[in-house]
Amino acid sequence: MFLISMIIWATALLGAVMTVWALTWAIKRGEFRNLRQGAASIFDAGEPIGRQTDFFPTSGKGVRP
Amino acid sequence: MSNVPEGPAESRLEQVSRILIDDSSRVPVLIWFTSSVIWLLLGSLAAMISSIKLHHPDFLGGIEWLTFGRIRPVHLDIVFFGWSSMAAVGALLWLQARLCHVRLPWPLLLSGLAMVWNVGVVVGSVAVLAGHGSSIEYLEFPAYCAPFFAVPALGVLAANVKMYLGKNSQHTYVSQWYLLAATVWLPILYVTAMLCTYFGLVQGVSQAITNWWFGHNALGLWVTPIAVATAYYLIPKVTGRPVHSYHLSLLGFWSLAIFYNWAGTHHLTGGPLPAWTITVGVVGSMMMFIPVITVAINHHMTMRGVFHMLKTSPTLRFTVFGSFMYTVASFQGSLEALRSHQEITHFTQYTIGHAHLGLYGFFSMIMFGAMYYIFPRITNNEWSSARLIKVHFWGSSIGVLAYGIGLCWAGWWQGLMMNDPSIPFLQTVEYVKPYLILRSVSGAGMTIAHIAFAISVWRILSRHHFVMSGPTLFTTERPAWREFVNEQNKREEMAQ
Repeated sequence: MFLISMIIWATALLGAVMTVWALTWAIKRGEFRNLRQGAASIFDAGEPIGRQTDFFPTSGKGVRP
Repeated sequence: MSNVPEGPAESRLEQVSRILIDDSSRVPVLIWFTSSVIWLLLGSLAAMISSIKLHHPDFLGGIEWLTFGRIRPVHLDIVFFGWSSMAAVGALLWLQARLCHVRLPWPLLLSGLAMVWNVGVVVGSVAVLAGHGSSIEYLEFPAYCAPFFAVPALGVLAANVKMYLGKNSQHTYVSQWYLLAATVWLPILYVTAMLCTYFGLVQGVSQAITNWWFGHNALGLWVTPIAVATAYYLIPKVTGRPVHSYHLSLLGFWSLAIFYNWAGTHHLTGGPLPAWTITVGVVGSMMMFIPVITVAINHHMTMRGVFHMLKTSPTLRFTVFGSFMYTVASFQGSLEALRSHQEITHFTQYTIGHAHLGLYGFFSMIMFGAMYYIFPRITNNEWSSARLIKVHFWGSSIGVLAYGIGLCWAGWWQGLMMNDPSIPFLQTVEYVKPYLILRSVSGAGMTIAHIAFAISVWRILSRHHFVMSGPTLFTTERPAWREFVNEQNKREEMAQ
């Protein structure tokens, strides 16, 4: 019982330590700077901010509303 | 419709780059997705048989391998390993390739791993139906099935890390954190749980700890992050609006990463465990309010002012419904961890209602939304019927709401009745019976929705009603994009 508890909790602790390490790494790497720009990083000139990119299909030729 | 991508050259290059990345993921993502849809249908069948048996115990009673003790775990395992995990991997691979701006590596290997995973689900399901399953929830498949899941999980992790390390984008978008973390967590969870459970390391009460450490984390640290990552991409992408608060989105990820791991033992409240073990689970569950609130605020506020788009976008309809259910199911789950709550709801239908609000209302709906977005982009074809999509949406959303609300309501009163020693147990069974019938009816609604979805998937794969351009996604005709790529390549060659 003791051994098992230790294995489980050690794994859980390892997960927490890994998470804290990853967070520290990300901070040092500057991942949390320019967050406004980061939020917009999924847009580009082809699919810019303000353009809806998904619609229900229409019958046949597809007319964009 | 123009014959070549519109806009300046930079814009056209970005469009072409995106289409090439989508093309690179076509085969593996289609295999993972299509397999998941097949398992969804089989999981629904197993669910219906299990559910009907609860109010008509003689239904298929003469068939040994369809007894409740076998078909119900098969339903759960098919839905978790077959539907949820395979849909999650498909979405993960496509999304990570897009966000890293790289082509999907090792498409053949990833396709092969999908087939290995499928073999694992088939072998495991047959074994459970034959009576060789364990009674450990989420780990019912025999030990020899483990390599069928562990090896593909490591392969997906490797592909995910390779894409991230080779990314052509400077910023790590919030979805990428979730995707990376999920692929790291799954092998750790699965391998540790299997080693502890099947190799004699764990017996008795401690086996229950392992069971729920894995069971809860498999949901919260594997499928949940992938669904949240998908929603964080699709809601802004479809609406054309950046995430409301990017700060909050990052706080949400890191708080989930730190706290979720500790929450699993709340499933054993009232069990013969050290009190502190349960308390850790309760505290972890309470801390989950932080990531859930951040996601709720972000998704709602991103949608604020554009809710009318739900009428015109199938992806958005499913994804926003799923995001809303994430808030509902997570709030409910955190409160459920409290000892005072568990005194009433433990061992009742309430837990089953909650589980479906979470894994179906939240996760599955977001995966449906993702598939409605991704399938056209990797098959170069349009969905054949808006009506089928609407049947799918209304069948699944009304079905899961009726299912979840009905069973939670019934479970709450069932618990109160069971805690009252003056009420005979049989009376509680009679009280619950109409709600069990409601469970089957709402399950049938969801199954009809799945059949409609499967027909849509079959049609888009078989190129029924073949349309190369249309409102779902294409602003320009794809063959023209291909011509544009060829022209670019020729120019580059000439320049060299």
